[in-house]
Amino acid sequence: MFTRFEEFAVNSMLGQKDSPPRSHGRLQFTQDWQRSLYGLALALSKAGHFEWEAFRQNLIGSISTWEQLPCDNQPPWDYYERYLEALIKVLQEHSLLDTDELQARLIETKSESTTTDLRNIA
Amino acid sequence: MSQLFDYEKQREAESAAKVRALEALLIEKGVIGSDSVDTVLAHFETVAGPFNGAKIVARAWVDPEYKARLLADTPKAIAELNLAQGMDGAEGEHMLAVANAPGVHNLIICTLCSCYPWPILGLPPYWYKDPVFRARGVREPRAVLKEFGVPVGAETKVEVWDSSAQIRWFVVPERPANSEHLNEEQLAALVTPESMMGVALIELPAI
Repeated sequence: MFTRFEEFAVNSMLGQKDSPPRSHGRLQFTQDWQRSLYGLALALSKAGHFEWEAFRQNLIGSISTWEQLPCDNQPPWDYYERYLEALIKVLQEHSLLDTDELQARLIETKSESTTTDLRNIA
Repeated sequence: MSQLFDYEKQREAESAAKVRALEALLIEKGVIGSDSVDTVLAHFETVAGPFNGAKIVARAWVDPEYKARLLADTPKAIAELNLAQGMDGAEGEHMLAVANAPGVHNLIICTLCSCYPWPILGLPPYWYKDPVFRARGVREPRAVLKEFGVPVGAETKVEVWDSSAQIRWFVVPERPANSEHLNEEQLAALVTPESMMGVALIELPAI
C-alpha cells in the first residue's frame, strides 16, 4: 500500500530543482537503470537508512557542483547521473557503503562479462 | 557523430553497471530486501497514478448517474470502481470531485503547501508547488489559465478550489465533442492529469 512515506518523499521533492522529470504527471525514465536508481533511493529511505532530506541535500549539492563546472570539463547534463552521485554520497555518509567495495564489485562484474563474451566468441 | 554516440552509450552503460552493482551489494549486505525496489516502484506505476483518475472521469462521461454519484459522494463513487488497494482508503476519503460544464470552469490549486490527490492524479508537476502559481491562481485565475492554453470567456465562471489535507479536489473535465464513437477505455486514454487539475482541456486527437 502507498504509505505516508511515499507521499512525503514525493511532495518534499516537488517544486525544487531536484524534482524528478515527469511526463503527464508520471515519472519519466528513459533507461531501466534510472528507474532502478530512483526506486533504490526511495526503498533505502523508506527502510529508515537515511532521512529523505539528507538525500535531497546531497542531490542539490551534486546538481550545484555540476552547474559550477567550467564548460570545458562539464559533461552533458544528466539528471540521473547526479541522482546516482547523491545516492552514493549519502550511503557513504551513513556508513552503508564503501566506495572501494563498489569499485571492486564493478571490476569483478566487468571481468565476468568479458569472460562470458570470450566464451561466446569461442 | 558516431564518436559522440559512443560516448553517450559508454556513459549510460557505466551508470547502469554502477546501479546494478550498488543494488546487488546492498541486497547482499542485507541493507534492503531483494524485492524492496520493485515494491516501492510498483506503487508509482500501478497503484497510485493518473490512470486511476482517468478511469473515474471516463466512467462519469459514459454514465451520467455515476457522475451524479461522484459529485455527491466522491469517495463512495470511487470505491464503486474497485480500483487498486488504497484508492478508497485513508487517502481516497479526502477527495472531492467538481465537474466542468458549459459556463463553468474549475481550477485546482493549493495555497498552503502542495496537497494533491495523488492516488487519482499521480505525482504533481513541479509548477504546482510554485508559490507564484499558487498566488496567481487565486488572484488572477483567468490569466493563469490563458497561459496554460485554456482561454476562458467572460461568460464562463471560474471556480478556484483550494486543496488541503482535509479536502483534495479534482476536476471532471468536459467530454470532448464528437467522441460518441469512443468506448470507456478509449475515452480514459484521452484524460490527462492536467485536465483533472483544470489547467487543460481535452480534445480528440487529430486523425
